[in-house]
Amino acid sequence: MEFLSRTQIISALAAVGLALYVLDLVRRRRLSEEYSFLWVVASAAVAILGFSTPLLRAITRTLGILYEASTVFFLGLAFATAMLLYLSVKLSRLGQENHALTRELALLRFELEELRGARPAGTPPAGGGGPA
Amino acid sequence: MILPAHNEEESLPVTLDELRRKAPDVAVLVVDDGSRDATARIARERGVPVVSHAVNLGVGGALQTGFRWALRHGYDIGVQLDADGQHDPGHLHALLAPILRGECDVSIGSRYVARTGYRAPVARRLGMVLFSGVVQLAVGQRITDTTSGYRAYDRAVMEICQYDFPKDFPDAPLLIDLARRGFRLAEVPIEMRAREAGRSFYTLGKSLYYPYKNLLASLMVLLKRPG
Repeated sequence: MEFLSRTQIISALAAVGLALYVLDLVRRRRLSEEYSFLWVVASAAVAILGFSTPLLRAITRTLGILYEASTVFFLGLAFATAMLLYLSVKLSRLGQENHALTRELALLRFELEELRGARPAGTPPAGGGGPA
Repeated sequence: MILPAHNEEESLPVTLDELRRKAPDVAVLVVDDGSRDATARIARERGVPVVSHAVNLGVGGALQTGFRWALRHGYDIGVQLDADGQHDPGHLHALLAPILRGECDVSIGSRYVARTGYRAPVARRLGMVLFSGVVQLAVGQRITDTTSGYRAYDRAVMEICQYDFPKDFPDAPLLIDLARRGFRLAEVPIEMRAREAGRSFYTLGKSLYYPYKNLLASLMVLLKRPG
């Protein structure tokens, strides 16, 4: 049984800390369960790799990496990339939904103004201009 | 008549007045696309209905809103016309003719079909040739002016487009998509003028993104199964 390297211990502790923080965010309803899932799984993975030297060794050898710590960072980077891509997808969908809502809102406001009868010319549009 | 307008307070009065003069019997809608100036007020003062987006969505979004408005108000043909005064409403009948004759579903007012007075900057011309080529490769039809903002769409096209429409630049990918859905496109020679005032939608910052986006979108439309 080898001693854990300082790097391993630090990254493992950081992972545990992150997982706890993510769970706390969920508890306080600041983060939805959906988004927390990936974070918890990823930090658990880093924590396990941090404590289990044989597993980390095996993965490191398989990937052809020289240092175990590099494997941890590599996996972390891979996760960050995946997360960013996932968020970009979510953001695109959010944008599309936002787009559709803006259009529908504009049409509904038009109909509302129509129903209220012709407004006198020169009055500013309801809700137009100023920030919400 | 759908006029997408983003901060067009300078050119809109001229455009609307000319519309009323040259095409008095046509219903006009201004889609105020998140303008921060007097665009909406100017249109209302002239008795033109205005649909206002709370935020700026881009030409595509404005058109989509216009299509849905036109459909809900029972119109059979929607005409897109730039608010900046580039397009002469006097050409409206020429633009509508092929649709009314049932020869096509989308009629495009083109700067290049016949020799017109219009001369575009070099980079713009390169882009036109490129995307004209892309459309020809994709659907086998020659559309010389893919970015024209002066087009007429029949009801069936508007039905589709009110749900599925390119957000920012409704150009080459849109035409390819429509052609692959079985809609017929036609080009009508139109003279275009220089802008009255204001800024073009196609600004320098977008000039790099534009070719990328439209090439990618054209490719994606082609990969999609025609439906």
